Amino acid sequence: MSETKALESMIGEEYKYGFTTDVEYEDFPTGINEDVVRLISEKKNEPEWMTEFRLKAFRAWKEMEEPDWFNATYEKPKFDKLQYYSAPKNKPKLDSLDDVDPKIRETYEKLGIPLEEQKALAGVAVDAVFDSVSIFTTFKEKLAEAGVIFCSISEAIQNHPELVKKYMGSVVPARDNFYAALNSAVFSDGSFCYVPKDTICPMELSTYFRINNMNSGQFERTLIIAEENSHVSYLEGCTAPMYDEHQLHAAVVELVALENAEIKYSTIQNWYSGDEDGKGGIYNFVTKRGACRGDNSKISWTQLETGSAVTLKYPSVILQGDNSVGEFYSVAVTNNRQQADTGTKMIHLGKNTKSTIISKGISAGKSDNSYRGQVKFSKKADNARNYSQCDSMLIGQTCGAHTFPYIESANPTAKVEHEATTSRVGEDQIFYLQQRGLSEDDAISLIVNGFAKEVLKELPMEFAVEANKLLGIKLEGSVG
Amino acid sequence: MAHPTKVEPSFLHRLAKHSPESENWAGIREQSLKDLNTTNFPHRKIEEWRFTDLKPFTRTDFVPLSEADTLPATDIEQYYIPESDRSRLVFINGTFQEKYSSIGGLGKGVTFGNLSDFADHDAVEEYLNKLVNYEEDVFVPFNGLMFEDGAFIHLEKGANAEAPIQVLNLYTDSKQAYIATPRMLVVAEEESDVTIIEDHIGLSENTYMTVPVCEVKAKQKAHIHHVRIQRDSRSALHVSRPIAYVEKNAEYHSYTITLGAKLSRNEPRVVQEDEEVDFTLDGLVLIDGDQIADTHSVMDHRFSHANSHQLHKVVVNGKAHSIFNGKIFVRRDAQKIDSFQENRNLLLSEDGLVNTKPQLEIFADDVLCSHGATIGQLDPEEVFYLQSRGMTEEKAKEVLTYAFALETIENMKVESVHQLLIDEVYRYTKANSVAKVTA
Amino acid sequence: MLELKDLHVEVEGEGIEILKGVNLKVKKGEIHAIMGPNGSGKSTLSKVVAGHPEYEVTKGDILFEGESILELDPDERAHKGVFLAFQYPVEVPGVTNNTLLRESYNTIAASMGREELDPLEFEDYIKDKLDLVQMDPEFLNRSVNTGFSGGEKKRNEIFQMAVLQPKLSLLDETDSGLDIDALKIVSNGINQLHGEDDAVVLITHYQRLLNYITPDYVHVMMGGKIVKSGEKELALELEEKGYDWLEDLATVNGEAK
Repeated sequence: MSETKALESMIGEEYKYGFTTDVEYEDFPTGINEDVVRLISEKKNEPEWMTEFRLKAFRAWKEMEEPDWFNATYEKPKFDKLQYYSAPKNKPKLDSLDDVDPKIRETYEKLGIPLEEQKALAGVAVDAVFDSVSIFTTFKEKLAEAGVIFCSISEAIQNHPELVKKYMGSVVPARDNFYAALNSAVFSDGSFCYVPKDTICPMELSTYFRINNMNSGQFERTLIIAEENSHVSYLEGCTAPMYDEHQLHAAVVELVALENAEIKYSTIQNWYSGDEDGKGGIYNFVTKRGACRGDNSKISWTQLETGSAVTLKYPSVILQGDNSVGEFYSVAVTNNRQQADTGTKMIHLGKNTKSTIISKGISAGKSDNSYRGQVKFSKKADNARNYSQCDSMLIGQTCGAHTFPYIESANPTAKVEHEATTSRVGEDQIFYLQQRGLSEDDAISLIVNGFAKEVLKELPMEFAVEANKLLGIKLEGSVG
Repeated sequence: MAHPTKVEPSFLHRLAKHSPESENWAGIREQSLKDLNTTNFPHRKIEEWRFTDLKPFTRTDFVPLSEADTLPATDIEQYYIPESDRSRLVFINGTFQEKYSSIGGLGKGVTFGNLSDFADHDAVEEYLNKLVNYEEDVFVPFNGLMFEDGAFIHLEKGANAEAPIQVLNLYTDSKQAYIATPRMLVVAEEESDVTIIEDHIGLSENTYMTVPVCEVKAKQKAHIHHVRIQRDSRSALHVSRPIAYVEKNAEYHSYTITLGAKLSRNEPRVVQEDEEVDFTLDGLVLIDGDQIADTHSVMDHRFSHANSHQLHKVVVNGKAHSIFNGKIFVRRDAQKIDSFQENRNLLLSEDGLVNTKPQLEIFADDVLCSHGATIGQLDPEEVFYLQSRGMTEEKAKEVLTYAFALETIENMKVESVHQLLIDEVYRYTKANSVAKVTA
Repeated sequence: MLELKDLHVEVEGEGIEILKGVNLKVKKGEIHAIMGPNGSGKSTLSKVVAGHPEYEVTKGDILFEGESILELDPDERAHKGVFLAFQYPVEVPGVTNNTLLRESYNTIAASMGREELDPLEFEDYIKDKLDLVQMDPEFLNRSVNTGFSGGEKKRNEIFQMAVLQPKLSLLDETDSGLDIDALKIVSNGINQLHGEDDAVVLITHYQRLLNYITPDYVHVMMGGKIVKSGEKELALELEEKGYDWLEDLATVNGEAK
């Protein structure tokens, strides 16, 4: 059918971020053992408590089994062949942008990331992570004026140990799961953000992650703390070069929202997804969790997942404070041989807690797209509410859409509503739009955008355009 | 699926050693033994069993049925349905009771009776134990090792059963905990039509386990209406495996009413075998006290053009726990599927628990599949409305619960069964209206 | 403007012939009504002219402004000025009316060499058109046809026609499902939009619409062919006698071919 063919050509658009950057790397042994963990900690000049944190996590990880309960099959990473630390050689302490290796700067320019402050008129502060190391954080001074700390996690360990000590591992404990444990042992860098009491962060914060080195895994760690009455919006973007080998990305993200605080966390994930036959591509095994610790706090996850060969990711919210709110908005697009098993957990512990889940899965090619979610009302979650909507769209007849919602209620006053539908891009819809003058490509793009709209509108303004562009790469056309 | 290399013997493996010799079912015994000996008893680490703990029963001291001192059944006429006075099969603890049964006949082409009397029947040879298909399962092979009697229902091409056939399974009192293994095979040839009322009743409050296995085949243009009522003893464990295969233009409508047992695990499955089929897999669960009711259903769409519906309604009170996992599969090439699943849970008590997992697995693009699930209490607006019309709060809740549950039994074709279920719903809502209800 | 020459059409891949040699000429400024019983092929005719992929032209030709459009995709035909008001307008969830119309308007404008409008200009332009079919501006922000009543969908089609200003409008059963007030609004809209430079083809089962829109010519389709053509009086005759009296004509012609 011509419709399918057009879709294939559109969706099959080549990956635009697949270039590699020729940078020299520091030598580092491959494989993992206690010495390697110690060496990472040493390289980073970490205090003793941090080294202990890592070693404990490593010991826990050694006892754990790699999970296999998800709806994806893939060759397991060879943990003894991985390099757990990868830093560009020319990485002195950077005082200004001019000190950044020009090649790396070039990379970020290619990616269209406004590393240079003067360019960043959009008012976005950026922390750029290249392989394992944070390269540079923009707008530091301006943020400091507002009292906001935004830096790499390595810096935070050095400069704000009391905060890191208090919160790291408090939302995602080291032994939470196999990949979180591994991350806790070997995490290299990542972003740290602290928004003090009564503060509204004056600009969007953003981190760009780039995997460059072929054999390295990327294990970044993000920690965001929003004190009472504060507000912060954070966005991460991810790209990687094209390699035939699979690369592992196992991040941990922890969010803590105290009383009346609000954290909005958005992700545009576009790791390399492998070629048509499933060769290469990133394994994206990420643990993201937020805790609404204070009353009336709010955590909102928005994600646009288009890349990676395999994605296993469930950004979750633990609703501890009374009246706290959790949200999850997701668009996951899979094509070729991609496999995505993604969703959320909303754990309602406090009274009058509310959560909303809107998930839109689009599968094409020979891909499998799964929504897996859990909504749980504990005994004490009086009058808690959840609304979930999980819609799938299938394009072609060789892909799969799966919905696995786990719902549990132990409180009679709590109320959950879950709905799911499956639909397709209809031939009659395409004809109708073509009759109104749109090309077949544009018609499909418009339909898919319409399908995903409820989620896309949740992205911060500054990134909405970028999101549309990305859907465009994946699904051609550029109708907003 | 690969069998585990190491099998830990469970009480079922142990009891299976008492498998009675059977001339009729020698082949099935052999196969079942092989299956049982390569399969582990389920535990909560297995995804399919994560919410349902069988431990209380694994600790129970079950004896083989042959060694149990079971008391005789009395007063069983009260369970007869009048429409089936010529078409009743009665089993006590899984054993056929000729004197209580009525196989007077339902007209030409309708055969029914004890399976062991029909061991040579073509349909039995062709289908018995061949349709049942549960992966990694110990219960079906256990049944296969233990059963001798069973219900057999066969309709020849074009045959129309004039009256519903009642399959009455009674479980009697006993000091020892025993295990019964009822068996059933229904084969409806082309263009035939039959209604089956399958009833499981515990006559006392004793502990026993029943493992009914039921195989159904609806051939082209056949219509089957299958009502399953579970009224086991409040101390019993009920694990049932009913599976139906539906051919072209055939219809299979099944309604499962779960009222009894301490723990029930019901796994109805419908498999589409050709295009243009229509099936229903409805359920009503009314539980309270410390009951656990678990339904794991599968609607397997393998060909184009199917209409399927599932309405699963649950009311939970006391410390009861309901689990629902409804799987809808739409396989590649199964286009133009219209499938709808709805799971509504009413949680009345502070100590009750509801788990639900409505699961869609779609591999074809031209389908219309949707599901909805809700858990909640009665709508306070509706309660208020009825109160404003003069009802007490308690009465209003009773009325609304009754109405909630009633929706699922509207489609009962057999009048006395319809009435019976209305009475059961009424009894439940009445009994539970005195329970403390939170506002 | 439009000429159909001995048009034979099958459902793609099924080999069932639906149109069995249709000839029709529509000139600038004219209104033609095509009537006929259910299943006569009149809806197929409109879809084929618009280029629906489900149908295959096995013989004959479709000329638009003197050129064959057989090889053109539906959007290319739309760019030339062919507009189809659908019998069953399609729902497109999540895409607002406004988005669709601006996209449509600008692509068609671009291909016709007209000036494209930016969002603000477009807003001004579209306001007057709303009045024509008496629609609430709020309606622009709703998803295309999603959750619309039958009458709203039909009015939306005429509204789109007003916005896009086609040369040839094929209105497929636009009157069905409308109450009398809506019918008046819709026909009034069509009458106002129609002028000397465009043509309208009305496809309808009933005569009712023709009380409000006066056609220049009426054609009767039966069994995949036009069996009788005449002026507006023919419609009244059909209303009175039904289609039965023409059946012989259809059979004879059908066999003759």
